[in-house]
Amino acid sequence: MAQQDFSKKKALLIEDMAEARIMQRKMLTDFGFTSIDIAMKAETAIELLRNHSFDVILSDYNLGNGKDGQQLLEEIRHSKLIPHTATYLMVTAETSIEMVMGAIEYQPDGYITKPFSQAVLQRRLSKLLETKERLLEVNMALDANDFDKAILTAKRVSKKHPSLLGKCERIIGESLLEIKEYKKALSLFNKTLKNRKMPWALFGKAKTYFLMGELEKAEQNFRQLMLDNRFFVSAYDWLAKIQVKNDKLEEAQATLIEAVGKSPKNILRQMELGKISLLLNDYVAAEMAYRRAVFLAKYSCYNTAEVYLKHLESLARISDSGPLLPRQKDNFENTLKKVHESFFDDPDNKAKTYGYEIDVYLADNDKSTAKQIFEAWLSEVKSGSATPPNKQQTAIFTKSFGS
Amino acid sequence: MKKIDISTILASAIHESKNQVGTLLYQLQSLKDAINNNDAHQKKIISIEESLKKLNDEWVEYLYLYKLASDGYELHVDTFLLDEFLDDQVFALFPSAKAKNLELEYVCDPTLTGVFDERLMTAVVSTAVYNALRFAKTKIRISATKNADFLVISVEDDGKGFNQSDDQQDVFLEGNTGLGLYFAELSATAHVIDTVKGFIKKESSLTLGGANLSVYLPQPSADHSISFK
Repeated sequence: MAQQDFSKKKALLIEDMAEARIMQRKMLTDFGFTSIDIAMKAETAIELLRNHSFDVILSDYNLGNGKDGQQLLEEIRHSKLIPHTATYLMVTAETSIEMVMGAIEYQPDGYITKPFSQAVLQRRLSKLLETKERLLEVNMALDANDFDKAILTAKRVSKKHPSLLGKCERIIGESLLEIKEYKKALSLFNKTLKNRKMPWALFGKAKTYFLMGELEKAEQNFRQLMLDNRFFVSAYDWLAKIQVKNDKLEEAQATLIEAVGKSPKNILRQMELGKISLLLNDYVAAEMAYRRAVFLAKYSCYNTAEVYLKHLESLARISDSGPLLPRQKDNFENTLKKVHESFFDDPDNKAKTYGYEIDVYLADNDKSTAKQIFEAWLSEVKSGSATPPNKQQTAIFTKSFGS
Repeated sequence: MKKIDISTILASAIHESKNQVGTLLYQLQSLKDAINNNDAHQKKIISIEESLKKLNDEWVEYLYLYKLASDGYELHVDTFLLDEFLDDQVFALFPSAKAKNLELEYVCDPTLTGVFDERLMTAVVSTAVYNALRFAKTKIRISATKNADFLVISVEDDGKGFNQSDDQQDVFLEGNTGLGLYFAELSATAHVIDTVKGFIKKESSLTLGGANLSVYLPQPSADHSISFK
């Protein structure tokens, strides 16, 4: 094993417990890191990752009350906040390894189990960096979305370094999916499965069938994955996607409710549940899902207007069948405030917000406030800063105000 | 009263204890950093550290044992270069051997690869080595070879070996409960390719003269190319 020079690498250490943080920081310094940024929670880490680049990320699985290390990893990988060339090492306890290994879709480059000595950490990091060096060309191709090149280079690496065969196969399979070579991908995943029952290969196979539109086969394989891997909650998301495609919205909703029960902190899952519940006119379920999404959005990569507007919409639809409860009204006001703070420059967002507000006041039979808001809206339409109400809205509102 | 599942309770109790061992190890580390290298207490501290590490590894073994026995262990196999895997094991266990003035080494073909669950086999090798530490006179050797469709990982020593005339495990596990071998066996049988299961063998060491515990892990048919049509 070649000695690694850590002095030029930039490290990010994410750990909520002070004692462990100090210890790990000391370890990293002792074996040569000179640039170490620290985050005490996932939210801070996301901010740092947005504005800086790192070569090595050392994150604890357990990060206190917010997101855990796995959710952080999923979010930053999904939104491409870290390149493939960076190394992500997850620090786990014996209890959390299964959660990390079971998350087939997004896995860290390596993990290290507590307690560990400085020598063990140094060794583990050196090896991971060595592997990254061997895969450098492949990962650069992936970062450049050049999947043909990724396949070509991965094949070369797997010949040269047989111990990286599994990693290369996986990269090739996933790249084939990206360039829509479904048949080739399927044959590769099947071949891997014949020899080794690797969960990523089964996941790849299921995903391939999904992309080919063979929903029945896809469902069969996703269900197998769920049976084999208790901790792979993403399989539920895929199953729900299949059910939506098959127009079985109730089933999709039930699937997502089960998934949310297992892992409630995934914002995209909450939003999907909210969306499907809205389609089913199940506004109470929609409101709950979007309320959680609003809570999760604040420090996440998915802090978009949609989360907040959909929460307002679901409350507005609840108000269609009667005034909101005081608690619901508080929720509405809170989310409304957040829209005003961050998303109110957009004319469409403004129009939607005004519409929901008027709905809620009308449900309360507070016609004068509703009317005021409507007039404010119309004047903003004149100045061009808000989208006008649609015909249906205009008709309903003017009728309600009796103007 | 509802009947309590005592094994589940024991497993979580072990988890708790293991976490405390971890905290102790960290505290010991800062103590080690704080005192001078040639301090007379340094040796004592290292000995405590080794004991705690061993305790930690034993707890891990018991946890996996519990999971394997209750079908709660999810096997995660991958391809490994044995040279790296065994190097890791020797690296982790070397201080324990050194503390007892024993040699610990590994031998294998540097190109040999194998498919297995790394966590499980790490626990099996450390269990076997800790056991060998109690019997070896001078030396312990870990080796890996390919035998037909099996990967064989062996731990040998130059102690007095398994006493075949005695009733099985008594000598090997003197003062022990036999959990170690049982754990190795469960770990081996958890590895399955098609219908072929892994197994263990207790033999005499041909090279060192003491005991030899070999773990046989079934391997996929030799085909290391990536092909797709």
